[in-house]
Amino acid sequence: MADSGRSDPVVGVIVNPAAGRDIRRLTGGASVSDNYAKRRTAACVLAGLSLAREPVRAIVMPDASNLGQRIVDDAEDEAVSLLDMPVSGSAEDTRRAAEAFSSIADCVVVLGGDGTNRDVATGIGETPVVSVSTGTNNVVPTPMDGTVAGGAAGLVAAGAVDRSAVTYQHGTITAEIHGSAGSETVSGLATMGLLDRPFVGTRAVLDVSSFVCGVVSRASPAEIGISGVAGGLETHAPDSAGGIAMEFGDGGQTIRAMTVPGIVESVSIARWSRLAPGDPYTVEIDRGVVTADGEREYEVADASVSFIIADDGPRLVDVDAAFGAAAERGLFIDSS
Amino acid sequence: MVTIDIETDDGQREILRRMMLIRAFDNEAGDRFADGEIPGFVHLYIGEEAVGVGACSALEPDDYITSTHRGHGHCIAKGLETDKMMAELYGKREGYCNGKGGSMHIADVDAGMLGANGIVGAGPPLATGAALSAAQKGEDRVALAFFGDGAVAQGQVHEAINLASTWGLPAIFLVENNKFGEGTPVEKQHNLENLSETAEAYDIPGFTVNGMDVTAVYEAVEAARERAVNGDGPTFIEADTYRYRGHFEGDHQPYRDDDDIEAWQRRCPIDAFANRLVDAGVLTEDEVDELRAAAEAEIEDAAAFAENATDPDPSEAYEDMYDVSVPELSTYAGGSLRADGGSTTDQ
Repeated sequence: MADSGRSDPVVGVIVNPAAGRDIRRLTGGASVSDNYAKRRTAACVLAGLSLAREPVRAIVMPDASNLGQRIVDDAEDEAVSLLDMPVSGSAEDTRRAAEAFSSIADCVVVLGGDGTNRDVATGIGETPVVSVSTGTNNVVPTPMDGTVAGGAAGLVAAGAVDRSAVTYQHGTITAEIHGSAGSETVSGLATMGLLDRPFVGTRAVLDVSSFVCGVVSRASPAEIGISGVAGGLETHAPDSAGGIAMEFGDGGQTIRAMTVPGIVESVSIARWSRLAPGDPYTVEIDRGVVTADGEREYEVADASVSFIIADDGPRLVDVDAAFGAAAERGLFIDSS
Repeated sequence: MVTIDIETDDGQREILRRMMLIRAFDNEAGDRFADGEIPGFVHLYIGEEAVGVGACSALEPDDYITSTHRGHGHCIAKGLETDKMMAELYGKREGYCNGKGGSMHIADVDAGMLGANGIVGAGPPLATGAALSAAQKGEDRVALAFFGDGAVAQGQVHEAINLASTWGLPAIFLVENNKFGEGTPVEKQHNLENLSETAEAYDIPGFTVNGMDVTAVYEAVEAARERAVNGDGPTFIEADTYRYRGHFEGDHQPYRDDDDIEAWQRRCPIDAFANRLVDAGVLTEDEVDELRAAAEAEIEDAAAFAENATDPDPSEAYEDMYDVSVPELSTYAGGSLRADGGSTTDQ
């Protein structure tokens, strides 16, 4: 997959400069992720690549705040360069970089939250993704040291481990909206839903009690947000087919869950059901907001919203599995 | 109670109307300044309307704000009257400061508007002081300081936030990051991409919101106010915004491209909110046009009021300057220094 003329494997690096700075620093207990910390984490990612033993090139996404450029400058390494692409200063940058990396990279490391990973998912195709949490509502990415992420990415990119054995394909959710303002499609990765709120506002989902319904492609009580609520009903692995649809409200079960970082509460679910891939879950609403992966995305009025789950998401690297497979092959033993 | 309830249809219409009023006021002020009718300088708030209106709408009427040299929008958002504001710009007796302050010094303490300010970064210390007074009196009110990205690097801003956070005062520090400190791009003034990261140094919450979305600013300030009145201390909010006009009227703006301005104009906070209200069925497009026309008519009336208002008499030049008697001022009685240069007083 590496571009023509260069045989070294390529790891793409996507660092979202905006991740981890939303209002949940005030309303919940979300941790802070400043750009200095992101740079340090990215430097560790680059250092970790050498675990693969063979040369690995790294290409970093540029961004409006020059975070990517600083990461490249700090590396002082010819094998680390900046991706050549136009910069818009918005989430479009992440989507554009993912699309570029889908053809030129052998593995991608993403530093961001669920929102960043949702943008990566739109264009990354089959390129494996090591997803490191620096965002807020993190169901998809995992908190880990950058060195570990870089180590795993290097092993996968270099072909030191069997890609299909150490990756799994995440599901996706799509909301097809038909409302007074026309039709629109909004995409999500782990969770989508409808809020009984008029505005997108600060984007963060702050109050689970305002959910009308929720659809999740994965569910575990260990997760924060509505995938955690669904996980209290039934667990559903990220690579299992389909997902779960929930109608919020009284008359059913009450679930104790971690709804927002720093907040544990009980949530009333009127009814729920498993949702097979491709089957629409449709809800009518007068005025509300469609959410995706913990963020308010799109305001709707007089709308019919159909949520559909598919098994076509990004291919995520199981980091433990990658290290385990490499160890089994004795890759960490220096010859004497 | 918040000043304007954004959850209601009436509240949404009023928020839109106030943003339109600011746009109309500053368009008019720019035109009148260009015509040479307004003395001094004017710094226009066009493009940043969602920040002022979102913030002031979420405050309670008794809360304090401090403003900047770009203060017209803050005044209107806080509910000040546009005719008295325009009279102040014209330097007329009917203005908020009897015509002695002009554009950069409009204040109305009764309305909680503690003053526009010609000094970059001078607002936050006032807000910290106002918050201290509220805390000492046991009042349920907060003080919000508007300041710009350039001011974040000012020493007095650091002092103000440091004291407010150390003493747990009910203050809100709201940075209007409009991307330029006069003509210097923000990235050439700060090593931080997100100015809200500054908050970590004070151990208070800091976050960045879309300053072109009035609903985002509103929600952020509403949450920060709740934290403040609960005794949990200040909050640092960065509103990501952009000024469409130059730093001052007449600024040739060699420091930026038309393409950038146009890109931000496509995100116009007023059009964006109006479109959302039309989509939601709160307003028809005709009603949006009527609201805009009414706002423009109000500002035309304000300008006519200012034109026809009275000039202050030179003999009043040294009145209203101090709250207590300052004998030396009589040296200047009548508007000029006495010939003997000495004190005439009745000491």
